[in-house]
This record gives sequence, C-alpha cells and structure tokens, in this order.
Amino acid sequence: MSQEKIDILERALAREKAARKQAEKILENKAAELYQAKQELEQSYLELESLLNKTDSQLQGVFENIVDPYVIMDLFGNVLKMNDAAVDLLGCDSIKSYFNLMDLVHPEDLQSVAESFQKLLVKGSITDFNLKIITQKKEEKLLHLNGSIIYDNGQPVAAQGIVRDITKAKEAEIQLIESENRLATLILNLDSGVLLEDENRKLVLTNKKFCELFNIEETPKALKGQDCTTVVETHKILFKNPELFIAQIASILKHKQEVLGDELEMRNGKILERDYVPIYEGNVYKGHLWTYKDVTLRRKYRKGLEAQKQKYSSVIANMNLGLMELDTKDKILMVNKSFLKISGYTKDELIGKSAQSVFPVEGDLESIREDNTERIKGKSHSYEVRCKTKMGTIKHCLISGALNYNLNGEVIGSIGIYLDITALKTLQLQKEKLLQELEKSNNELQEYAHIVSHDLKSPLRSIDALVNWIKEDNKDKLDEVSVTNIELIEDTLEKMEQLISDVLMYSSVGAKAMEEETVDLNATVEELKKILYIPAHISITILNPLPKVQGDKTKLKQLFQNFISNAVKFNDKAEGHINIDVIEQPEYYQFSVKDNGIGIDKKYHDKVFKVFHALNKRKDSTGIGLSIVKKIINLHKGTVWIESELGTGTTFYFTLKK
Amino acid sequence: MKSLNILLIEDDMIEVMKLNRTISKLELPHTIVEANNGEEALQFLQKKDELPDIILLDLNMPKLNGIEFLSILKNDDVLKYIPTIILTTSNNQQDLLECYKIGIAGYVLKPLKYEDYVTKVERLLAYWSINELKQL
Repeated sequence: MSQEKIDILERALAREKAARKQAEKILENKAAELYQAKQELEQSYLELESLLNKTDSQLQGVFENIVDPYVIMDLFGNVLKMNDAAVDLLGCDSIKSYFNLMDLVHPEDLQSVAESFQKLLVKGSITDFNLKIITQKKEEKLLHLNGSIIYDNGQPVAAQGIVRDITKAKEAEIQLIESENRLATLILNLDSGVLLEDENRKLVLTNKKFCELFNIEETPKALKGQDCTTVVETHKILFKNPELFIAQIASILKHKQEVLGDELEMRNGKILERDYVPIYEGNVYKGHLWTYKDVTLRRKYRKGLEAQKQKYSSVIANMNLGLMELDTKDKILMVNKSFLKISGYTKDELIGKSAQSVFPVEGDLESIREDNTERIKGKSHSYEVRCKTKMGTIKHCLISGALNYNLNGEVIGSIGIYLDITALKTLQLQKEKLLQELEKSNNELQEYAHIVSHDLKSPLRSIDALVNWIKEDNKDKLDEVSVTNIELIEDTLEKMEQLISDVLMYSSVGAKAMEEETVDLNATVEELKKILYIPAHISITILNPLPKVQGDKTKLKQLFQNFISNAVKFNDKAEGHINIDVIEQPEYYQFSVKDNGIGIDKKYHDKVFKVFHALNKRKDSTGIGLSIVKKIINLHKGTVWIESELGTGTTFYFTLKK
Repeated sequence: MKSLNILLIEDDMIEVMKLNRTISKLELPHTIVEANNGEEALQFLQKKDELPDIILLDLNMPKLNGIEFLSILKNDDVLKYIPTIILTTSNNQQDLLECYKIGIAGYVLKPLKYEDYVTKVERLLAYWSINELKQL
C-alpha cells in the first residue's frame, strides 16, 4: 500500500467521517425541530380544546340566558330544545317538556302557519311573523316570531325561532289607536276651532268648529295639507280689521312664542279669542297650534254684567241714601258718597274703623241693640237713630239694615242704608212744638174768651140790677112810656147776654181737643127732644134709626140741638114737621134734618153758615148757631149743605165720617 | 131762722149792693162782712176772732183770684171747715171742676135778671141757715 494510496484512503475516510458527522448533525437538528413542532402542536391543541370548551359553554349560556323565548324544533314541529322564557310563554310545566308546537296554534291561524312554514323551508328564514296560539294553560296569546332553518351538510334538519309575546303590546296598540281616534273625534268636534300647522305652515289638522268659524265649506279632512298662509289670506275679510289680523299672525309666527287670549273682532259681530302655542320637539320647531274660541256670548254677558255693575255702582255712589257695609265685627268695609256727606268724614277716616266708634249712635242704645239682635235673626227692617257726625252735630237717620251673605249662605256682615231725616225730624219736632204752642194758645184763647165773656156779662147783671132798683124805688112814679123803655132795656140786656154766650160757645168749639168716643145719635136726639122746648104743634120724627158714630159727645149734641132749635124757631106752619134721617155711605153717614118752615132764599144758602149772619131779626137768634154747626161738622171731617125753598121748608144735609 | 155770718168776697161794688139789698128786701137776719178781694178776705180771716159761718166767693177778682184764695183757705187747718159757695158769672167748666176738686160747698151762677138773682140768693141762704155748721 502505498502511501499515496494510504493517503488517498485516509483522505477518503476523513471525508466520509465529516459527511457522516454533518448528516448526524442535520438529523439531530431535525429531531429537535420535530420535537419543537410536537411541543407546539400539543400546546395549540390544548388551547384549541379550551377554546372549544369555552365557546361551547358560552353558547350554552347564551342559549339558556336569552331573554326572549327561544325554541328549536324538528321539521315536524316537535320541540327539541327551549329556554326558560319559552317555557313561560308556552305555558309548559318544565324545560324538559317535549311536545308538538303545531298543537298550540290557534285554529284561526293554522292555515297561515302552514303557509309560513313552507316559506321557511324554501327560503331558510322567516321574519316578523305573527300568530295566535293557545298555551298549554289555555291562554290565548299573540306571538311575534323570527325563525330560521338549521342545516347539516346542506340538509335541513331542524328549525329554530325567537318568539315574543306581543299580546299586551297589541292591546296597547289597539288602545292607542282607539284613544287616538277618540282624540281625533274630540278635536274634530271641539267647541274651539283648532288649526295645527307644521313648520312649513302646511295644515296638519283642523276641525269642524274652525271651518264653521272661518266659513270654510270643505271638510276638515279635505283641508289637510293645504297651505295655511292661503287659507288665512282668503278668510281675512271675515275680520273687522283684516290687515291687522294678517299682521298679527305674521308677528306671532316671527317670535314663535306662546300667545294666549288674543281677542279678534269679526265683521259679523262675533268676538273670537285666539291662542297660539308653538310646538317644539327637543329644541326643534315643528309647527304650531292655533285655537279659536267664540266668546261673543261670554263677552256680551260680561259686558252686560259690567254695565249692570257699573249702573248699580253708580246708583249706589250717587244715590241720596248713605250706604255703609260692615263685616261681622262692626268694621267698615264700604261707604258711599252720601254716607260721607251725612257723617262728615272722608273715606279714609272710615274704612277699616269700627262703625260704632267713628259714627256713634246717640241715645237709647238698648232699643237699638234690641233692633240689632232682631237684625241678626235675619229680619231686615228700618229703625231711627241719632248719630254724631265728625263735627259733633247730631243727625237723625233712618237706617234700613240687612245682613250680607256670601255664596254659601253664611253671614259675612251687614249693609245699612242711611236716610238723613234730620231736616224732616227738625220739621217734625218743630211741628210738635208748634202744636204744643197752638194748644197752649188755644187754651189761652179759651181762657181769654171766658174772661171776656165774664167781664162783659158782669156789667149786664149790674145794669139789670140797677134798672130793677130804679123800677122798684120809683114804683107808681114812672109813666107808662118809662116803664116800657125800662122793659126794652131789660130785653136788650137779654139779647146781649145771649150774644156773649154764643160767641163764647163758637170760640170754644175746636179750642179744646176733641174727645173721641162712640156716640149713639139716637139717644142724643131723644135726649134733646126732652130738654128742648118743643111747641105742641111741632113733631120731631126719626125716619131711620140713627147710627153710632165716633166723635165728641157734647159737640154732636150741640150740632143736633142747633138744627132742631132752628127748625123749631123758624116754623110758621100750623103743623110743624121735623124729619131727621140718615143714609149710610161706604165712607160716611149722610144725615138730613128736614122742616116745613119758612125756608131760606137761595141767595142766602152760602151765607147762613157765616158767623153773625142772622137772616131774621129775632130776640133768640144771634146768627151764630149755624156757624157753630159748620165748625163742629168740619171738626168731624164732614160737610154741610142746604136744600131749601122759601115758604115750603128747609133740609139741612151733613155728613159725618164713619 | 138761724142768723148767718156771711163773708162776701166780691170786687164789684154793685154786686155787693145787690146782695145787701136782697137781704134787706127779704128781711133776712144775716150779717154781711165785705171783702173786695182775696187778700183782704185773708187778712180778715187771719184774725180768727170773728170767723164767718159761710163764705160767698166770686172767682174773677184782681190780685188774689177766687181759685187761689180757695186753695189757701183749704190748706188752713181751721179755715178749711168754712163752707165756701162760689157766686160767679162764669160757667167755665174748667173753673167749676177745679173748684170742686179743691173743695167747695156750692157753685151758683149769677143770673142776668135781678129777680132771678133774688130768688137764687134767698134759696141759697135758706139752705145754709138750716145746716149744722162747725162751731168755730
């Protein structure tokens, strides 16, 4: 073996060795790589497995915790799986119940359900399908369903669906529609005209009343969508001031702020009240609502009421009667001008004060209090008081008081009407004083008449005595003429005496107060017939029974005495008749005293009643008798007159009040 | 017939004469004391030594008039027992009532005719002369 050979061999071996080493190394690397790969694979498998587990449980969780009912069924409707919500919905006993869903479908819906299922099979899914079912608990329910088909290797194997119970929602919807309808009807028939416009002034809604108010013949429905600017423009002439109407609308729309209670006058006399309400959604202007109300009647009524109130206020303010309103605690609430005038105070001095302390009542408080208690009992009546004015003077007032009630009928105070009767009262007092004075002076006159008559009569007595003494002392010395003259003196004295007596009597009639009593005139005349000298040829007859009258007994006696003695005195017939009669009238008695005496000439009929008018010169006639008669009749509020014919007789008529 | 002491209170001279003449004419035993008015009469009566049996009193007199005099008289414990007869021309009812109220023994009207007067006085005095009077 040569070296060379050896060398070659040796070098070949070395190369071989190196190659094997390299291969060994590669192998080693590969093995390491493989291991690495295996490690990683293992790792990733673990991860995958956990991921799967996780997803699986997640899915299970999702399935079980889906809020909406979820059901999986086979293609024949048998339930494969469902969640709790579905159990509740379908009214099953538990999640484990298995049954055919088709059994639950309401008979009404069987057809549509069948069709929908075909559609589901073909299309793979179905949405928004509504159906009615009867649950296992026999409840009728309306369901909403979204469903899809589950495929395995491209073959449909099952169907799944999410179901919602829309029974309540449906009911609510129906209710909503109903209430919307109601609202619409309400709006349509509202007594106010309604006009709803959108933000572009397109008419959204209006009603009958609006059409009526604006004389629009179309129906509210037909108006929908019209441009309101035109509507308003065509109808502006309905208003008294059309331009102002348009201008106002423009101004309101510009500001877009609520305007309530605007008043519009229409040509036909109607008055409308208009409200404007803008409508915002969030901050976005979406339109506005007009409402028009016919307030003509209300306004007229209010105007009438105001006019009436004005009238009464003015009456109260200007009437000549004082008016004071008090609350229940005597506090002054209201007074009128006349009251201020009566009391002398200004309004400020009175309002809020106690009436009794400002305008006190003088005098007999007790009786006034009594009156006031009567008033509290609800009686309204008038009473007289004396009040002290601001100046301290006393005013006489006639107060008419009445309680003031509120709407519930409770007493809230009182109203007193004051009539200032001071002037009247003064007059009355003056009259009373005058009457007293008159009575006094009448008494004095009477006294005076008596004194005068006494003083006049006394000398007559003296003269008579003296004449008699002359006669006595000169018995047989006086010649016949002187005796006759002396007798004439005596006659004259008698006449004088009678005259004085009559004058005294005449002045006495009416001087003394009349004493009223019931007088039986029959008895009076009968009595007179006994007392008076009645010659045998004269008869007195009472034709009808005389009545009983109210009057002064003495004076009535005097009255008949005068008539009868006149009739007796002036009778020239052989047989004298005096007839006394009476006729009853509603208010009075009419008496007559008729004689068949000498009669009175017509021209003297008025004169006979005048004092000192004796028609016939007679010793026993002074001409005062009939004057006294007239005076007595006047005192008894009667009248007297004559019917007479000269030569045939006289009838005196007179009346006496019943 | 009993003789009476008569106090005549009368201001009219002729009236006094009338009474005196009547008494003398009728020849009556009575004594007349005259007083021209109430005051004078009171002065006389105050002495109380010679009190009259009856008083004839006129009403209308100056100074103290009849009714005033009567009131004083009737208030006097002694004098009130003297019967007082009014002799007057006045038939004023008021006076008459007032007199009877105070206390009088009669009210006689003076008639117009003198003969009638004589008759009335005669009867009046006849009546009083048969009356028992208080011993003064």
